[in-house]
Parts: sequence; structure tokens; C-alpha cells
Amino acid sequence: MEQPDAVIHQPLRLKIMAALRGLPRGERLEFVRLRAVLNATEGNLGAHLGTLEKAGYIKVEKDFNGKKPRTRVSLTDAGRRAYADYVAYLRAILDGDGAAAASRRSRYAD
Amino acid sequence: MTLSPNEAADALRDMAAIETRSRRVYGYREASPHLILWGILWWAGYGLSEPWPHRALAIWIPIVVIGLAATFAISLSNARRRDAHVDRVADPKRRPEVARVRWGFLGMVLTAFAFIAATLAVMAPVTSRQVGAFIPLVVAASYAVVGLWQGLRFIVAGVVIAGLTLGGFFLLAPAHFALWMAGVGGGGLILAGCWFRGV
Repeated sequence: MEQPDAVIHQPLRLKIMAALRGLPRGERLEFVRLRAVLNATEGNLGAHLGTLEKAGYIKVEKDFNGKKPRTRVSLTDAGRRAYADYVAYLRAILDGDGAAAASRRSRYAD
Repeated sequence: MTLSPNEAADALRDMAAIETRSRRVYGYREASPHLILWGILWWAGYGLSEPWPHRALAIWIPIVVIGLAATFAISLSNARRRDAHVDRVADPKRRPEVARVRWGFLGMVLTAFAFIAATLAVMAPVTSRQVGAFIPLVVAASYAVVGLWQGLRFIVAGVVIAGLTLGGFFLLAPAHFALWMAGVGGGGLILAGCWFRGV
């Protein structure tokens, strides 16, 4: 069986990807809301967001909402594909069939 | 790094739960400005209908037109924001969100108007107080149904709106119903919108 994507395999990074996958395509989630959804600490979440951003799986945008600084995160198309591949990998484990991953990949992508 | 089938099943379950939670937070955030908007409009519409009950139709027509136009503008603005962040090169076949909103909004408004007009025609003759209670009950039922998929807060908002409407209709003197709906109906929607925003 093929090895999973090491970037997504880490539990909190997988949860970040799942939270962003729950949004409509093109939509962004504010850092504070993401932290609340995941019940994560600020420092831990920030570090893992950096890893995902370096991998090109998420996009982090910083701006100001009035006078308040704001950080928003969204899933990139590469991230969406990587997440779909990871889901296919997990389903293949459940099916006991590594070859099934490829066929499921495209179905989950959208 | 290979997982067992049990670990894979647990991971899939956790991922599905987080996707759902995230989708609900997003849904609350999107619904919030609409609830606040319609709360203000209810407050204005029922508030003006209290001293001038015989002019209720003339009061409500512009209020509903303003509400629909503002709702459409908010929805369109959100759709444009999503479209701006989608990579068209990676997904050229994807239908723009703006087009979905335009047709979805038109369909929703026509369906709602047709349903309410048909029901009132079947039940006629009806008093302005009955109409004033019926439409909030339709709204409340819609929130409760949406909540079955989008989260508990929609259900709570629907139940509270329905409860306040029925309480005002059956327990208060008819002369005070519009004032009741302005205060607790409009105010309730505004509070629900703030509650949704705070998620």
C-alpha cells in the first residue's frame, strides 16, 4: 500500500484540512474561528498552518478589518487534491485494497 | 506510518465531524446579517402597522422590496467574494457562484410568494393579524427545517420565533399583536443574528 502524505498525516494538520474542506470552494475561515472549530491553542495552530502553507495546501491571508488585524485561511486546489488523496488512502485501508485509492480519489475531489 | 483499519475508520469519522462543524460555523456566519436585516425590517413593519393598521399593505410592500433587494445584494456580494478566490485555470468547468445565487434567489422568492399567496387564497377571508402571524410561522418553520442540516441554532431560532408568534397571537389582546411582533419578533431575529455571529 502507498504511504500517506506526511504533511497531512499529522493529526492537527489533518483536522485543519478537514475544517477548510467543509467550506464552499473559494471561501476563507478566520484564524479565530478555525481555532474554535478545532479547539486548538494559538501557537500550535499557527505552527501547523505554516507547514501546510509551505506545502502549498493552504493560503494564509493577513489584512486589517477596520483597525483589527485579521488572518484568514483557505484551501488551495493542491490542498483539496491532497485531502482527497488522503481520504482515498484511508478508505483503501478500510477496504484492505490499496488499488482502490486511485479510483475513489476523483469521486471525492468534488 | 501505516494505519490499522480501526485507526483509519476513526480518522475518517473525526474528519467528517470537523467538516460538519466547520460547515455549520460557516452557515451561521452567512445567515447572521440576513437575520439582523430582517429583524430590523420586522421591527419597522410591525411597529408602523401598530398605529396605522389600515395601511399595513402600503407599509409592508416597500419594506419587503427593500428586504429582498438587500438580501440579494448580501448574497451576491458573498458569491463574488468566493468567485474571486477560485482558481479558474484549475477548474474551468465550475459554474460561477454568482450565477447560482441569481437563479437560486429568484427561485426561492417565487416559491415563497407562490406558497404564501396560495395558502392565503385557500384560507380566505383572513385578517391582517392572521397574515401577520402566518408569515412569521412560515419563516420559523423554514429555519427549523434548515437547522436539521445546518445546526441546532437554526432550530432554536425557529422554535423561539414560532413560540413568540403563537404566544402573541393567542394570549395578547388583538390590538397589541403588531407591537408584540415588532418588539419580540424583530428583536428576536436581531438577537438570533448576533448569536449566530458569535460562533
